[in-house]
Amino acid sequence: MCERNSLYTNPKPCKHLADYKLRRGFNGYDSLQNCLKTTPNGRTRVDKHNTKIPRCSFCNGSQGRLYICLVCSSISCSSHILFHTQSEKGHEVAIDMERSELYCCLCRDQVYDPDFDKVVVSKQVKDLPGGKSNGFEACRERSSKRKRIDSGIGLDLKKSKLLISMRDRRAKSCYPLGLRGLNNLGSTCFMNSVLQALLHAPPLRNYFLSDRHNSVQCRKRSGEKVCLLCDIDALYSAMFSGDRAPYSPAQLLYSWWQHSSNLASYEEQDAHEFFISVLDGIHEKESKMLNSCKDDVDCQCIAHRAFSGLLRSDVRCISCGFTSTTYDPCVDISLNLDTSNLSPSDVANKPIKPTDEKTGVSTLSGCLNLFTRAEKLGSDQKLHCQNCQELRDSSKQMSIRRLPLVLCLHIKRVEHSLVRKMSRKIDQYLQFPFSLDMTPYLSSSITRSRFGNRIFTFEHENSNGCAEYEIFSVIAHSGMLESGHYVTYLRLKNQWYKCDDAWVSEVDEEIVRASECYMLFYVQKPLYYKANEDLSCVRISPRRDPFLSTAGCSSNAK
Amino acid sequence: MSLPNEDYSQLSSHVFGDLLDFIIADVASECHRVVKLGLDCNLEEEEEEIRLSAQARLRVADPGNSGETNSKYVVDIFGQTHPSVASEIFECMNCGRSIAAGRFAPHLEKCMGKGRKARLKVTRSSTAAQNRYSRGSSVSTYSPHSNSTSTNRLSNGTPGVAGEEYSNGTYEEP
Repeated sequence: MCERNSLYTNPKPCKHLADYKLRRGFNGYDSLQNCLKTTPNGRTRVDKHNTKIPRCSFCNGSQGRLYICLVCSSISCSSHILFHTQSEKGHEVAIDMERSELYCCLCRDQVYDPDFDKVVVSKQVKDLPGGKSNGFEACRERSSKRKRIDSGIGLDLKKSKLLISMRDRRAKSCYPLGLRGLNNLGSTCFMNSVLQALLHAPPLRNYFLSDRHNSVQCRKRSGEKVCLLCDIDALYSAMFSGDRAPYSPAQLLYSWWQHSSNLASYEEQDAHEFFISVLDGIHEKESKMLNSCKDDVDCQCIAHRAFSGLLRSDVRCISCGFTSTTYDPCVDISLNLDTSNLSPSDVANKPIKPTDEKTGVSTLSGCLNLFTRAEKLGSDQKLHCQNCQELRDSSKQMSIRRLPLVLCLHIKRVEHSLVRKMSRKIDQYLQFPFSLDMTPYLSSSITRSRFGNRIFTFEHENSNGCAEYEIFSVIAHSGMLESGHYVTYLRLKNQWYKCDDAWVSEVDEEIVRASECYMLFYVQKPLYYKANEDLSCVRISPRRDPFLSTAGCSSNAK
Repeated sequence: MSLPNEDYSQLSSHVFGDLLDFIIADVASECHRVVKLGLDCNLEEEEEEIRLSAQARLRVADPGNSGETNSKYVVDIFGQTHPSVASEIFECMNCGRSIAAGRFAPHLEKCMGKGRKARLKVTRSSTAAQNRYSRGSSVSTYSPHSNSTSTNRLSNGTPGVAGEEYSNGTYEEP
């Protein structure tokens, strides 16, 4: 499985640290704990004497790095720390006073100990402004009895395999099922591109192919003439039937326009808007059918089960460090382009990323870093700090509390100029990976980095399940803001296909990598591999019957 | 007690040097921790992805290369060929007329009485105007953290033409 057992490689202590711990145990750590002071921005330092400036016992200097001996508490600067070790036997481990990091004087290197980190974090938590739970996973969040959703959907696959194999014989060629063009009904490539991506999102595909939405029962029950879900179901049936002539999603267009009447127009449309609108339509209809009024967080409609994640927003007072946390559900993440190529990513809080400056190219990880970066809010946006009891400058930081099964990343490619009152499209190339690890953007990672990346198990870690994703679809936009064209690239059984309305072609992965992505669709790794297994591909014999069209599978006449 | 000017500038550059050293040590210490604890274990994979993308861009930009068989105007992978305006005929579910697929959307728009052209004829002009400018508002509840969706739309298509692709062969160099 892709779940790592621990997020750290627990570092092996050097010989000297191990010796120290054997001899002294935790005495040194514990006695130091009270001297640890944390500033509002997260720096923890050793502050033995509140008023006096710490000075090196050899040279009386107070500049450079100062270390305090764990055994005798004498202070030395980096030039003289070795003298101390040589003059006092056994005084081999010290602490960097400004950073609260262990230092081995004989190895002459910073060393790490989970027990020490635990002591540090405990003190940090104790000293948090506003009480213990502040900045931590607050108790107000319900304990997540998140069942393993994927197994629920996985069970359906057995039935769907049956449905697919019955139609195999009519497949026109040895290509994965579900691969079929969509006719452009008049500037509807925005819709076609999103439909292609949704058709191959494993949870949705499995759901509809397993006949989870039964059209017959639906019509009987609701008596409505139009049902978006029924039409989506019909779309799946048609696209996976084995028929390869392009399908016209006219009925779907009709029901969608009934649902989103404000978007019902044959003008320029945005694919992302359509995506949100369709998910909303699915949610509405399923909620009605399930008669549930659950909020987005726990909603069991297929749209939410597949796409819904939870975002966390921390707003922190710059003066005292008091943090208030809110959670918001989302079905996708809209990212600003990381256009400031020359500024390195926030190294202090993240694992080292490949230097963007070298290539000078915007990367998806750069955009995600930007999304989860602590951003200082303008001084015109001062917020009331509960701890300080007044308006204070604050900083805001986003992170992902819970990842969805299917992750949709939307790249904001529109730039507004307030001066010229114009908008323009940003054509800048964005590098994106085929395999994506979302761990650094999780709330647990962000929280941990705020506590100095200490070795400590925070609550709610690894409750997300898998943070590793594989890409399965890319929607690319070419052209200008007001008029352009959408195509979708699909990755089926490790072969990329380009779906350009009615035209489906095979493409090299290089074409996809070099494309101008607008929406990226990733699915959790286990689901990706399982989905690939299920896509059967049947070799046809030369004496096969000519293709016969089946009612409901080819033409759209209803 | 005031110092002569040279001492001030020396002092200030000394202080600056100290601050700079301090910041460098900060960054070094944090990176050291990240590496030692294995928090950057994906570095190699990420660099590989970046390398592949860079390579891909070079190969695609090279006019001699046709990794993409521009089969749009010839034949698709199933051996089929299609007109640029979809010609399949079916019945409009609103009015019952037979319409060609490629003209279905503009027809349906008028047929349902929606859209800009249709709305201009409607006398309930105030509601029409509201509909026109509130596009996207019903959608924003789903991405509360992002900018209003109506300001970040990439449109497609020009009226009357069924999606002509720009051959976007040039890639913007940053």
